[in-house]
Amino acid sequence: MTTHRLSRRTLLRATAVGAGAAVLSSCARGPGGAVDLAYWNFFGGSDGELMVKLVNDFRAEAPGVRVTGTTLDWGPPYYTKLAMACAGGRAPDLATLHASRLATFGRDLLDEWDLAELAARGVSIEEFPQPVLDRVLVDGRLRALPLDTHPLVLYYNTDICERAGLLAPDGTLAPITSAEQMLDAGRRAAEVTGSIGISLGIGESSHVWMVFWSLFRQLGGEMRLPDGGPAEVDRDAAVQAMTFLREMCDGTICSPTLDGQSAPAAFASEQAGFLFVGPWEVTSAREAEIPFSMTQFPALFGDTPFVRADSHSFVLPAQASVDPAARAAAYDMAVSMLRNSLVWATGGGHIPALSAVAASPEYRAEQPISNYREAAQVVEFDPETYFSGSGSTLMSRAGQSLQGVATRALTPEQGADDLIGWLDEQITFGSPL
Amino acid sequence: MTAGTVAAPGRVAPGTAARGGRSLVGGRGGIWFVLPFLLVYAAFVLWPLVYGLSLSFFDTSLVRSESQFVGLANYARLFSDPEVWRTLGVTVLFTIGSTIPLVAVALVMALLVQTGVRGQWFWRFAYFAPFLLPVATVALIWQWLFSGDYGLLNGVLSGLGLPAVGWLTEPDIGLWSVVILTVWWTVGFNFLLYLAALQAIPAQLYEAAEIDGAGGWRRLFSITLPLLNRTTGLVVVLQVLASLKLFDQAYILYQANGGPGGSATPILQYVYETGFVDYRLGYASAISYMFFVLIILIALVQARLSRRSEL
Repeated sequence: MTTHRLSRRTLLRATAVGAGAAVLSSCARGPGGAVDLAYWNFFGGSDGELMVKLVNDFRAEAPGVRVTGTTLDWGPPYYTKLAMACAGGRAPDLATLHASRLATFGRDLLDEWDLAELAARGVSIEEFPQPVLDRVLVDGRLRALPLDTHPLVLYYNTDICERAGLLAPDGTLAPITSAEQMLDAGRRAAEVTGSIGISLGIGESSHVWMVFWSLFRQLGGEMRLPDGGPAEVDRDAAVQAMTFLREMCDGTICSPTLDGQSAPAAFASEQAGFLFVGPWEVTSAREAEIPFSMTQFPALFGDTPFVRADSHSFVLPAQASVDPAARAAAYDMAVSMLRNSLVWATGGGHIPALSAVAASPEYRAEQPISNYREAAQVVEFDPETYFSGSGSTLMSRAGQSLQGVATRALTPEQGADDLIGWLDEQITFGSPL
Repeated sequence: MTAGTVAAPGRVAPGTAARGGRSLVGGRGGIWFVLPFLLVYAAFVLWPLVYGLSLSFFDTSLVRSESQFVGLANYARLFSDPEVWRTLGVTVLFTIGSTIPLVAVALVMALLVQTGVRGQWFWRFAYFAPFLLPVATVALIWQWLFSGDYGLLNGVLSGLGLPAVGWLTEPDIGLWSVVILTVWWTVGFNFLLYLAALQAIPAQLYEAAEIDGAGGWRRLFSITLPLLNRTTGLVVVLQVLASLKLFDQAYILYQANGGPGGSATPILQYVYETGFVDYRLGYASAISYMFFVLIILIALVQARLSRRSEL
C-alpha cells in the first residue's frame, strides 16, 4: 500500500466531509426546512424531455424537496464521472444507471436499497419482472431500482410489408420463426422499397451488439468472464450469430454502411421495411408519420425469443456522509418516478418495470409499444463483468469485430476469434475494482 | 504616405530603449511578472507530468483507494499488449498519411493565392475558414458528408455512376476519412505559414530572374521552393507533432467506437479508454509515458535532420 495515494484520498475525503458538513449545516435544510436532493441522469433528446417531466411531477408532489437535476452526456463520460464521484465520496443523492453496468460499480460504490423503506412507500420487489430482478439483486441485495426494460425490438413498415405479402390477415406481421424466414422477409421488403429490406446500424456498436447478443443467446451461447480468465465463450454460437449478420448485410437485405443515425433515418424515410433497434426510436418513426408498427423481436434460432435488453434504473451512490433527510427524499423521488412511469413508457417506448404500470389498461391500450411487453420475460442482459454493459468497452470493442464481419473484412470465424481473444486479454489483466 | 515619419513597429527610438531594457532584464522585478504564469504552469503542466510518471509505477485504479507499487510491470505489460501496438500503428499511419497532404496542399494553395488571382482576400478567407471551426462541428459536418447511404460524397459518386464508398464503415477506409476531414479542417494553418513566407521573398529576386529569362516554373523551382525550405521544415515539424496527437476528431467522428473494425483508434484514445473507461490509471500513465518518449525521439530526429539540411 502506498502513502502518496492514501494521503491524496484522505485529503479528498476530508475535503468532502468538510464540504458535506458545510452543505448539511447550511443548505440541506434550506429556508423553510427544504431538503436538497442532487439527481444525476444521462437522458437527452425525447427521453430527456420525458425525464424532465418525471422530475417536475415529483417536484409538484414534494414541495419540501429542492431537486437539482444534472444531465450528463450518456456513455463512458457519464459512468466515469459517476464512478469517480462515488469513489471520492461526493456523489449525488440519486442517480440513473443501466442495470447492465452494475458490475462496473462493484460492491463499494453504490449503497443498497432498503426493502423495508421501499415497502413503506408501497413498492415490493415482486412487482418487477423476474429476469430484471435477477440482474439488480447482487448477493441478495437490491443494488438498483428498475424503472423500465428496453429490449431490442422489431419495427416494421405496415405498408411495405403488406405489399411484400408479409402481413397476417389481421394486419400485423405474420410470424417469423427462423433466420431463413427473416432473411427472406428482408429480401421481399427490399424488392418493394427498391433499396434495402432491413435497416440496422452496423456502424453503431450498441445497435449491432444488441442483435448479436440476442442471437448468441437464442443459439444457447454462454459467455462467462471470470476475473483472471480465461474467457469461457461458446465459439460455435458466436460464429453462427456472426454468419447471420454477414448474410444479412449483403447490400440488399441490409446495407453494411448504415450507422446509428442513418439506420433509423432509412426506416423513417421508407427505404427499409424493417428496423432492428431499441424501442426509443419510436419517437423518430412517429415523427416521420410513416405507417409502422412494432413487435417483439422473434426467435430466429431455437424456440425462445431471447432478446438483449437493458434497464434504466435508479441507484443510491455511496457518499462520505449520508444525510438521512436527503436519503429519504431519494427514496420518495425514485418511487414517484416509478409510479409515474406511464408517460415514460408511452413516450419513449420503454416497458415499465413496475407491474402496476405495466398491467394498467392505459399502458396495454397504447399502440404499438405494448405489443412487445412480453419481451420483459425473456430479456438477456450483457455478460457480467466490470467492462461490460451499455456504453462499455466490451460493447464498443465487440462492435468492431461485428462490423468487420458485416463488411466482410473478417470471416465469422475470424470475428469470433478476434472478440474472444480480446475478452481473454481483458480478464487475464485482472479487475481494477 | 507617412512611412518616412513613423517608426516601423518593433523599432525603438535610440537612447530610451537601452536604459529601459537594462532595468527590466537586469533587475529582480521580472520574476513577479512571470510568477502568475509560472504558478499556473507548475500546477497544470509540471505537477501532472511528475504525478503521471509516478502513477505509471503503481496499479492505481480510478475507483479504488489503495494501490500497490508494481515497479516496471506496467511497462513490461504494454510491450506485450497488442492493442498498444495496433493503436500506435494507427497513429503513425495517420501521421504519415496526413502530414504529406497537409504540407503539399497548403503549399499549392499558398502558391495559387500568391500568383495574384483576383479577389485574394476571398481565397485567403476561404482556405483558412475551416480552421476556425470547433472540432465537434467539423466532425458532425463530416459525419453527414461521409454518411454511407445519404451522404453528399456518395451522392456525388453515384451521380458520376461510381459505386458507393463506406467512408465510415469500411475498415480499409475508416482512417483515411479522418485524414480527409483533418486536411480540410487544418490545412488553413499551414497555408497561412506558407503565405507569410511567400510574401517575405523579395520581389527583386523574381525581377532579376525574369530579366535573366527564367520562366514561371524555373522561378518556382529555383527561387520560391529553395527559399521556402525553412518554412517547410517548420511546417513539417509542427504537423508531425499535431498529427501524432490525433484523438478528438476521430473520437467524435466515430462516436467513441474507434472506427470500423477499430481502424481509427489512435493510441491516445486507447490511453483515455484504459484510464477513464476501464479505470486503469497506472497502466494508462505507462502507455502515455512510452508515447511521450517516442514523441521526444521523433522531435530530436527531426531537429537533427533539419539541422543537417541547413548545413
